[in-house]
Amino acid sequence: MDKLGFAEARHLVSRTGFSPEWESIQRLVGKPMPQAVDFILQQRHSSPPSPPSMSPWSRIVSLRQNARTRKMIMRTAKTEGKGLQRWWVKHLLATKAPLIERMTLFWHNVFPSTIAKTLSVKLLYQQNLMLRKHALGNFRTLLHAVAKDPAMLVYLDGHMNEKLAPNENFAREVLELFTVGRRQFTENDMREAARAFTGWTIDDRSGRFTYDAQRHDTGQKTILGKRGNFTGEQALDIMLRHPRTAERLAERFWAEFVSVARPDPAVIRQWAQQLVSSHYDISALLKTVLTSNAFWAETHRGALIKSPVELAVGTLRILPYTLPRDNLAHQLTLMGQPLFNQSTVKGWASGKEWLSTQSFLLRDSLLRNMTRGNLRTAKSGMDRLLPAVSSKEEMAQWLLAIPPINPFPEKEGSKQRLVRDLVLDPAYQVC
Amino acid sequence: MNRRDFLQYASLVTMGSMLPGFTQAVNLNRTGKILVLIHLKGGNDGFNSLVPYHDSNYYDLRPKIAIQKRSVLKLDDRFGMNPQLQHLLPLWEKGQMAWIQGVGYPNSVLSHFQSLDIWESASPSDYSKGWLSRVVPGIKQGLHGVVIDDGVEGGGVMQGSQLNAVTMKNPRSFIRAAERISDVQPKRRNPAIAHVTAIQHQLHEVGKQIAEKVGSNPPAIPGKYTGDLGHGLQAVAQMILSGVDAPVYKVTQKGFDTHASQLELQNNALYQLGSGISSFARVMQQKGLWQKILLVTYSEFGRRAAENKGAGTDHGTASAHMVFGGSVKRGIYGEHPDMSHLNASGNVQHTTDFRSIYGTIAQNWWRQNNPWRQYGTLPFVG
Repeated sequence: MDKLGFAEARHLVSRTGFSPEWESIQRLVGKPMPQAVDFILQQRHSSPPSPPSMSPWSRIVSLRQNARTRKMIMRTAKTEGKGLQRWWVKHLLATKAPLIERMTLFWHNVFPSTIAKTLSVKLLYQQNLMLRKHALGNFRTLLHAVAKDPAMLVYLDGHMNEKLAPNENFAREVLELFTVGRRQFTENDMREAARAFTGWTIDDRSGRFTYDAQRHDTGQKTILGKRGNFTGEQALDIMLRHPRTAERLAERFWAEFVSVARPDPAVIRQWAQQLVSSHYDISALLKTVLTSNAFWAETHRGALIKSPVELAVGTLRILPYTLPRDNLAHQLTLMGQPLFNQSTVKGWASGKEWLSTQSFLLRDSLLRNMTRGNLRTAKSGMDRLLPAVSSKEEMAQWLLAIPPINPFPEKEGSKQRLVRDLVLDPAYQVC
Repeated sequence: MNRRDFLQYASLVTMGSMLPGFTQAVNLNRTGKILVLIHLKGGNDGFNSLVPYHDSNYYDLRPKIAIQKRSVLKLDDRFGMNPQLQHLLPLWEKGQMAWIQGVGYPNSVLSHFQSLDIWESASPSDYSKGWLSRVVPGIKQGLHGVVIDDGVEGGGVMQGSQLNAVTMKNPRSFIRAAERISDVQPKRRNPAIAHVTAIQHQLHEVGKQIAEKVGSNPPAIPGKYTGDLGHGLQAVAQMILSGVDAPVYKVTQKGFDTHASQLELQNNALYQLGSGISSFARVMQQKGLWQKILLVTYSEFGRRAAENKGAGTDHGTASAHMVFGGSVKRGIYGEHPDMSHLNASGNVQHTTDFRSIYGTIAQNWWRQNNPWRQYGTLPFVG
């Protein structure tokens, strides 16, 4: 491939954003592939809307002491949590930097923290800004920032981890989920790592990370075969250097950008080496992925299942349908992608698991409701709001990653009807 | 008779014969043997469920949260049930309930996800298929299982391409949504679209069956049903009584991850469990189906032998599980784990491999080939 044709530009735009945005595709058509990838990677940050209303951390600290006031903060967290979800949905719909948002969403699921557990919307909001800041930055910096992030410290009980009463929750998940993965560490590694993180906590008044040297265990620790008086930072670096950490990240990139099929181990090793040799530069890894043969292979077109965000937000970003926006975050929850509320620390069940019999029904009814003729400007008609495509085949090439599964209707109908048929085609579920 | 009842009655008289599954008596004699799995989500503490009130180690390890001897529901001179399970006592007295204790596996994993994967796949390392996919496809063709879950997760036990299962909140909402789904033949172009089209085809087929059987008016199920488990069992009863022919159903009771304030949390979860199961059992007894039902609980792990500082218990190993049904042979099976010998994490050694329960279900309940023969069987049924 010398230069991107429509199909290639479409593929690149929809995999690095939420849907095949017409203007972005047009901008890339005719560009040489590496240049098009650079163009995508150089997206400028797009500022999120003004923050939702949030109680300060100090209020939560003072009120969570007894059962009665604890109920109060749970109610507040629920209300403010909805505001936070709406805030992000609003930005997902409006952002001019869809790749950065997609990556923020990606990291939010690699490192989840929830409204239900933290009860602090403010900490989650700050975590979200942090994830966005590092979305295409350096993975080591990001890992360290996450480990010291106040919302994460509450979510995995790290703020209660002290020398005399170690709490193992964060240490277990950082090993099992954030870095080396299952079967690469022992229970003993986990306990010793927990000791390294002792003393990391949150200041009650400011809600910021603070290190309490009195509560840190300065003794010898053995973590993944290394021995020393490790601090939490050193423990993270030991985990980071384990070869499986880079490979697992490469595997997650494969699942995010390439296919639901199992990755080729040789490709994963190569990407992981690339990540290590770039000193964990996320952007460099992404460039490797987006310029790889695997990414561009014909067999991988339409080989990903759309996440609920891609399905709902992606559709609303390219088609003139409306949906009450207050409702969108709730719809995402029902379809299995609750923002700031993953049901487990493992994150949303993604990939093939986005789609079960249950979620299929919910996705289908969302699309049916959206396309049920509630056009934004019924008078001017949908035709005017759609890109200028000249045939139904071209419309399908724009909206679908692979040819439609259902046959085209024989009779020539309205454009609106054609779009509805394509959106409800099984091929619309993949990207 | 209020207006709504009258209208229902009226429509029954005039249109009854046209509504499949509603007035047509379902021939329940043809119902096959059914397994209802109950996932106790979070890791249920077996020691505070089936209380070893004879064991002084138990009281030494748990000064704050042990269930006192005077309040346990005594089953014999060594063990008693948590008083919150009072609704289950009549089932025990009728000989339709069994306990299996010390249930676990070697080299226990203390992660919720991984341990649940192990339980649901019956494999220490390959979690791609649920254990039921090795048994249920041999029983019949067509629909194999229904998972009741209001989310989109929870189908682990039924994973596998050989097994035809659906997840739903309840039959009514499922039928309403599924009737809009058009049929599509599975396409193998790539694994993503193959999955999409397979799911759509499956939904169409199952939707058709459940709509035919249950109809637009699911039968009313008497009894008290609260919480996820209660509503789940109610939905299961609706399907069984309408003649839906799935051999497996799965429901979930949440609230067992009791790291702190265990008494409050576990009491609540156990109470809901007991009351839901007893209502469900009564309905099945009334309809003469109780002989054909086997309810079995499972959980990702038990809890640590000793209580923690927060009057809770951390992730543990072996736990006690329950079995109910008209064909169940009452008893307390398996050995009580030795609470005086704990491993480095403070956990007991398991005494019963969980796969012996699966093997018993396969071999003694369904009369199928037993893939877990090496773990033996337990005579709790058949």
